[in-house]
Amino acid sequence: METLRQLLVSREISELSRVTHLLDEPEQLAAAVGNVLPDAAARASHAQLGEALAPAVEMAAQRSIQKNPHTLTDILYPVFLPAIRKSIGEKIDQTFQSLNESLRHIFTWHGLKWRFEAWRTGTSFSEVVLNHSLVYRVEHVFLISRSSGLLIAHVTAENATSEDPQLISSMLSAIQDFVKDSFNEKEQSGLDTIRFGELRLWSEVGPFATLVAVIRGNPPEELHEVIRDVLLRIHDESSQALERFDGDSSKLLGVETQLQTCVELQHADSNRGFPWLVVSAILLVLIAAGGWFFLSWQSGQRWQAYLSRLATQPGIVVSEQKISGGQFYIAGLRDPLTADPQSLLSGTQVDPARVHSNWQFYQSFEPGFVLKRLTASLAPPASVRLSVVDNRIVAEGEATTTWINQARAAAQQLSAGGPVFDISGVRDVSAEERWQAYVSRLETQPGLIVADQNVRDGQFYITGLRDPLAADPQSLLAGTQVDPARVHASWQFYQSLEPQFVLKRLTASLAPPDSVRLSIVDGRIVAAGEATTAWINRARSAAQQLSAGGPVFDISGVHDVSPEERWQAYVSRLETQPGIIVAQQNVRDGQFYITGLRDPLAADPQSLLSGTQVDPARVHASWQFYQSLEPAFVLKRLTASLYPPHTVRLSIVNDRIVAEGEAPDTWIDRARAAARQLSAGGPEFDISKVRDVSPDARAAEHWQYYVSRLEAQPGIIVAQQTERGGHFYISGLRDPLAADPQALLSGTDVDPARVHSQWQFYQSLDPKFVVKRLTASLSPPKSIRLSIVQGRIVVVGEASAGWISRAQAAAEQLSADGVVLDVSQLRELNLVELNHLREAIQTTDIFFSSGRVVPGPEQTPVLDRLADQLKEFAENARKAGVTARFMLTGHSDTTGRETANASISAARAETVRALLNKRGVAPELLLVRGAGTFEPAVPENENSRTGNSTNRRVSVTVNLE
Amino acid sequence: MLQKKICMLGGFAVGKTSLVRRFVQSIFSENYLTTVGVKIDKKSVVLPDKAVDLILWDLAGEDDIGSFRVSYVRGATGLVLVVDGTRPATLAVALSLRERAEAEFGAMPFVVLFNKSDLTDRWAISDGEIDELRQRGWQIYLTSALSGERVDDAFRQLASMVAK
Repeated sequence: METLRQLLVSREISELSRVTHLLDEPEQLAAAVGNVLPDAAARASHAQLGEALAPAVEMAAQRSIQKNPHTLTDILYPVFLPAIRKSIGEKIDQTFQSLNESLRHIFTWHGLKWRFEAWRTGTSFSEVVLNHSLVYRVEHVFLISRSSGLLIAHVTAENATSEDPQLISSMLSAIQDFVKDSFNEKEQSGLDTIRFGELRLWSEVGPFATLVAVIRGNPPEELHEVIRDVLLRIHDESSQALERFDGDSSKLLGVETQLQTCVELQHADSNRGFPWLVVSAILLVLIAAGGWFFLSWQSGQRWQAYLSRLATQPGIVVSEQKISGGQFYIAGLRDPLTADPQSLLSGTQVDPARVHSNWQFYQSFEPGFVLKRLTASLAPPASVRLSVVDNRIVAEGEATTTWINQARAAAQQLSAGGPVFDISGVRDVSAEERWQAYVSRLETQPGLIVADQNVRDGQFYITGLRDPLAADPQSLLAGTQVDPARVHASWQFYQSLEPQFVLKRLTASLAPPDSVRLSIVDGRIVAAGEATTAWINRARSAAQQLSAGGPVFDISGVHDVSPEERWQAYVSRLETQPGIIVAQQNVRDGQFYITGLRDPLAADPQSLLSGTQVDPARVHASWQFYQSLEPAFVLKRLTASLYPPHTVRLSIVNDRIVAEGEAPDTWIDRARAAARQLSAGGPEFDISKVRDVSPDARAAEHWQYYVSRLEAQPGIIVAQQTERGGHFYISGLRDPLAADPQALLSGTDVDPARVHSQWQFYQSLDPKFVVKRLTASLSPPKSIRLSIVQGRIVVVGEASAGWISRAQAAAEQLSADGVVLDVSQLRELNLVELNHLREAIQTTDIFFSSGRVVPGPEQTPVLDRLADQLKEFAENARKAGVTARFMLTGHSDTTGRETANASISAARAETVRALLNKRGVAPELLLVRGAGTFEPAVPENENSRTGNSTNRRVSVTVNLE
Repeated sequence: MLQKKICMLGGFAVGKTSLVRRFVQSIFSENYLTTVGVKIDKKSVVLPDKAVDLILWDLAGEDDIGSFRVSYVRGATGLVLVVDGTRPATLAVALSLRERAEAEFGAMPFVVLFNKSDLTDRWAISDGEIDELRQRGWQIYLTSALSGERVDDAFRQLASMVAK
C-alpha cells in the first residue's frame, strides 16, 4: 500500500513538502514572491493595485521624508523646478505690469481720481490702477487633448468669431510640437504665451489636456492662475475621461461648463464719465424756461406794435388796453369806415384768439371819413371828382342839377361841426346841353347824316341816314348821360360813298388776294400788286359801278399774273442761266412743255421752279445733258480733272481761263494737254503764267532772287552773274562800307557752297556812302547833322568857322564827282552864352606898375577870375566842337626905349601865362605876344612923363578854331 | 462628435497636398507645410452609423527619412500612405515612414494611395506588386488628385477603420 502510494503520489508529496517548506520559510517565500511580484503587479488591475498600494506608498513617502527629506526632494527636483520657475516668472511679470500701469497713470487726471479711490477704499494705488487699466475679454477657450491635438471642447464668448476650432486646436498643438522640436526643449510645459497685436493666446498645459485661452486686450497676470485653476478642476473631475480621450468628445460634455467660467472673464473699464443725463436734463429745463420768457416778451412787443399801429389809424380811438394772464384786452371807438381793427391784427403776429376787443361805433369828422361817406351817399357821377383840400372837401366837374341839389343839402348838414363841403366847382350840365353834345358828336361820325333833330317836352327826336358800316348811334349814347328812354331816333340805311366805306365794301365783296393791297390815296381807292386776270376783271366791273358818283377805284397798279405769264417768267429765267439752253417751249391746254440742253454742272431747272408759282405738276420738261463750253463750266471741269496744286489759281479773265502760280512740270504738261483739247471750240486756257518749279528751276529762282537783292543794295554793283552746272558765279564791285554780299546769302535758300563770287572794292558815290565817308573824315561836331535829301547831301547845323571852311572844301571836291554836298545851311557856331563870356574875357586887363613884369598883389583877384573864365570858356567851346585859344598880348607905356618896351611887354604876357597856368589853364591854349607900345589902350601924349598906367597891361583875345 | 487624428505620409511631391486640396475643408495656406512642416485639414465622413471628422495632418513630404518629424504623429489613430505611381521609389519611402511612425507609437490602421493614376503612360508600378500588397490585407487605392477618382472611397474606408 505504502509502496503503491509511493508509486502513485511520491512526486506530489515531495513537491508538497517543498512548497510547505517554501511557505514556512519566510526567506524562501520572499525570494519566491520577489520573483513574481513585478509581473503580478503589472498584471493586476491598476485601480485595485493603486488602491491597495496607496496607504503603503504614502506611509513609505512619509517615512522617507522623516528620515531624510533630501531624498524625496532630489527625486522631485526635476518636477518642481520648472513649476517654481514659472510661478516666480509670473509673479515678476505681475509686478512689472503693476509698476508699468502705475507709472503710466501717475500724473494724469484719472490717475488723481484713482489715488482718491485708493484712499477711499483702503487698497493700494497700483491695484486700483490695474483694475482700471487692464481691459480685456476672454473670447475663446480651447481644451485640447495633449496626445492627439484633437479638440475636446471649445467655448466662445458672445460675438467672438473664429475659424473651425478643430483645425485651430490641431494647428496649435502642431505649433507647440514644432517649437519644442525645433529648439530641443525637453520641458513638459508648452508654449504659454502667443501674442499677436491685441490678441493673446495663453495656454496652460495639464497632464492630459492643454487649455488655450484667446484673450483680447490687456489681461492681468493673475488670469494665468484663474485659467490654471479651471484646468486643474477639469483634470480633477474628468481625469480618466481625459486620459482615455479617443476623439469622442461626447464623453466630456461636462467640461464645457467649466470652460464657460473662463470665457465669462472680462473687465470693461467702468466708464462712468461725464454725467450727460443730468446735464442734458438741466439744459432742457433751461431751454424751456428761456423759450417761455422769450415768447412772452416777444408777444408783449408784438402787442405794443399793434397798439401803435392802431393809434396811427384815422377813425380809431383806443380808450383802454391791458395784458392779463397772456390775454390782451382792448376797448375804444371806431368809425364804421375805418379799417377793421381785427383785420389789422394780421401781420402783427399777435394771436387773434387771445385778443378781446370792445369797439363802439362813432362817426368821425375827419375829412377823409366824411369824403368816404359823401362818396357813398351822394354817388357822384363820373364827371365829378371829390377831393380833400386843406381839410375842406371840394367837388369839381360837371353834374346834373339834381345831383348838385343833393350835394348842396349834404353840405348844409355838414356845416354843423363837420368839414366844409365846397361844391362851387361843379358845373350844372342840363340834359339839353348833353343832348346837343350828343348830336354834334353824331354829326362828326363818318357814315352818319343827321337830317333833323329837336327837343320837345323833355323828349329828344332825331332822324337821319346811316351806313350799315358806320358806328351805331344808339351805342354812342352810352356815356353821354342822355337818358336813352327819352331819345326817339329814326335812321334810314344808305350806302355811304365816303372812300373808307367804299373800301370796306370793296374788301368784303372783291376778296382781293394777299398779293393785292387796297388803300385810299387822295380820296381815291387804289389797288396795287399782282392778281389773276379773273380778279382784275371783277375789280374792273366794280370800278365801273363806282364811277357813277362814288370815289375813283384805280386798278391800274395791279399786274395780271396769269399762269402763262408766270411760265414765261420762268422760261426767261432759265434762258439767263449759264449752262442751260432752252430749245423749245410751248403751252398747250394749260400744260407747259419745255425741251433743251443742260450742263450737269448747271443749276437744276426743277429746283428753279420753286418760288415761281408755276404748278410743277403741269410742267413737262425734257433736258439733254451736254458739256457747256462757257468759261465758268470749263473752269469747273478743269478744276475737277486737273487737280491743280494749291499754288495754282484758276480764274476767268475776259472769257479766257487763266492759270497763275507755281506748279511742277508734270502738272504743267497735263495742263498744256488740256489747253490743246480746249482749243477746238472751247475757251482759251492760258497757262503761261504758271511757273515751272522743278528743283533746279527753284534753285535758279532763289539765285535770281539773291542777285536782285544784291543789285538793290547800295554800294554793290553786280557786273556779271551766270549759272553753270548747278553752280552760281558772280562778280562785281563793292564799297567797303556796303553790306557783305556773303552775309546777304543767309535767308535766301541759296546753297552758299555753290556760290562763287569775286568782288572788287571801290568807292561808291552813292550819297549814303559819301555820307559815311564824310562822317569819318570831317568828324562833324554834335551840332551838325548830315542827311540825304533827294540824292543830295545836306549839312545842317552850327559849326565853327574852321569846320565850315573844311566842309566847303569837301563840297568843292565832291562836285567834281557829281555828288552835291549842300553846305549852304551851315551857320557859324552861335556861341550865345559864350559871347558874353568872351566879352568878359576880352575886356579884362592885367595891370602892371611902371617897369615891372609881375603884376602887383592887387591884381590877384583879377587873375583868379580870369583863369576861371578861361577854363569855363575852353570847356564850353570844346563841347560845341571847337577849340578856343587865348592870345595874351603884353603892352607897355611909352616911357623908355622902344626895344625895352617891346621886351617888357612880351615878358608881361609870359608872366601872365605862367600865372594862369598856375591857376589851372592848359598852357597849350594860351598864346603869347608882345605888342610893345603899338596897341595902347589910351593914346599917350607927350606931356605925361610917367606914361599912362592904363597902358601897362596884358590884354586877352579869344580865337576859335 | 467623433474626431480622429490622421497623418498623411509620403515622399516628396507624391501629391498629398493636391490630393486633399479638393476634398477637404481647410483654413490654412500651404505655406504652413514649408514653415511649420505640417498643414492641418479636415475631412468629414458620414458612415452608416455615425459621422467622423478626420483631422488630417498633412506632413511635409521628405525623401530624407531622417528629417521626418515623427512627433507630429503622436496621438494619430490612422495613417494615409501616399505613393506616386510613376515613381516606384516613393513606395519604399512611404513604407519606411510608416515603419518609423509605428515604431514610435505602435501599429495603427492605414490605407495606401497610389496616386497619379491618370498618368497611365508613365505608370511604373506593376499590378503584381500591388496584388502582393493586397495579399497582406492592406487597403490599396489607385487615386488621381486630378480626377478625384477613389479619393473619397479611401477616406471613407479609413474612417470606418479608425472609428471601430
